[in-house]
Amino acid sequence: MNMKNRFTIFFLLAAPLLLPSAARAQNNWTLEKSTLTYHVSHPLHEVAGVSHAARGKGVCRSGKCDFLVAAPVKSFDSGDSNRDLHMLQVVRGADFPMIIVRFSLPESELDAPSIHCNLQIQFAGQTVEYKQVAFQQTIQGKDHHITGTIPATVSDFKIDPPKLLMVPIKNEIPVDVDMTWTPDATGAAGGKSSH
Amino acid sequence: MRLSKGVFRLNSKAAAFDLEPTALILLLFLLIPGPLLAQTSAASLSGTITGPSGKAVSGATVTIKNLATDQTMSAQTNAAGFYTESNLAPGEYQITVAAAGFDTKSENLTVTVGASQTLDVTLQAALTLEDLGISPQQTQANPQEQARLNKRSHMLQVHQRLGLITTVPLAATVISGFFAGGKRGVTSSSSRDLHAALGSATVGLYAATAYYAIFAPKIPGAKTEGPIRFHKALAWIHGPGMILTPILGAMAFNQRSQGEKVHGIAKLHGQVAIITAVAYGLAILSVSVHSGAAARKAHAFFGLFHSGNSDSADAAIDGALAKAGTE
Repeated sequence: MNMKNRFTIFFLLAAPLLLPSAARAQNNWTLEKSTLTYHVSHPLHEVAGVSHAARGKGVCRSGKCDFLVAAPVKSFDSGDSNRDLHMLQVVRGADFPMIIVRFSLPESELDAPSIHCNLQIQFAGQTVEYKQVAFQQTIQGKDHHITGTIPATVSDFKIDPPKLLMVPIKNEIPVDVDMTWTPDATGAAGGKSSH
Repeated sequence: MRLSKGVFRLNSKAAAFDLEPTALILLLFLLIPGPLLAQTSAASLSGTITGPSGKAVSGATVTIKNLATDQTMSAQTNAAGFYTESNLAPGEYQITVAAAGFDTKSENLTVTVGASQTLDVTLQAALTLEDLGISPQQTQANPQEQARLNKRSHMLQVHQRLGLITTVPLAATVISGFFAGGKRGVTSSSSRDLHAALGSATVGLYAATAYYAIFAPKIPGAKTEGPIRFHKALAWIHGPGMILTPILGAMAFNQRSQGEKVHGIAKLHGQVAIITAVAYGLAILSVSVHSGAAARKAHAFFGLFHSGNSDSADAAIDGALAKAGTE
């Protein structure tokens, strides 16, 4: 092996160490498991629809982490297929098949026991921002377990409230969030490529 | 009029002054309106918005918020990714840049008196649904399915309303039946006629109710789960009952009209009618009361006939529902 080759190999091995720390700090997160539960109240019914089908990722860059979570509207199960189909119709689930949630957090707050973030939610053809929604966080090893409730309402998303026996449901449809996020081991190599 | 080198005369109807050039400039300066003077201290901000590859981002919204007054201004970037905003008062500002497909970015900036400041911003590409492994097909709107869902919901709403309306003549028919039967031996033809008329109205409304349920569009891939399974299973009782009851009733009616005692299978008219009415009432209740409570009651009911163990009760009800389940 000549000198030139030795330098090349040394450079390739040392290059990651020579990169500025900010460039290496990129950290990705993956939603490992989730339970999203919406609650609907009616004088005759208390309904809870559950989805475990959400997928999510987070990318941290320059001290800020951007997260994206999406779940198919169809994936919510209230234990009554008839009601689920009616829900799908009311929220125009075939026209807008996904619930998409975006939020950002300062990287320094990722380990905090209490997190407040602004959620941008796309659902039923509307985009609504919920400000300073509180979540509690417990960390066990790599797992960041986050719980909280999104104070959603039917009117926020311009949904015509469904009725049973001519009586409409309550406007409030709080959504309980229970998510477990884990950081990707890939670091910068696993970073999102630019578009 | 020129008087001498460097001296001007200002004429007016009221007075005439001889002025030095310096005084004239000073006077002109004083005559400039206040707001115009204020503009001279205003600053401007401009810059270029680019994506991660350095390509200009057009159509990005740049929101400039004065942190002291909360006053906001916004500008759009042009095809070259350039934006500009003038008339900024000195102070602390928050600059927020938002563009479709990119993460929103905010930066704070101090604007100084009369400065022409530049703030170039590089946006990072936002996470997309493809990054989550969700294909464009999964996110595509399906207007045909939405139309099917809309029609289905509309038909089932009519089904629900007609079903509730039908309970009125149904109850009246059952009650009038006690006075039209032959057990007491004293029945008038008018009470039988009333019973028959109410029965006919019930059957007619029931048929219309059933039509809206049977012909509501089916949604491909949709499973039948929950109380709707009881509701559909009960239709296999009250449906045939609603056909059989008027046939048996007509036979009984003829026998009584001929002065005979009701005999043969016509004697079952009353029992079949009661079973039909009960099944119909349960069908309404099964989708009207609290589903969780109804499910628990059903589990308990099936548990009584099984081992009492909740797991085996679950299995029993699941088995029963599987048999009764219809789609």
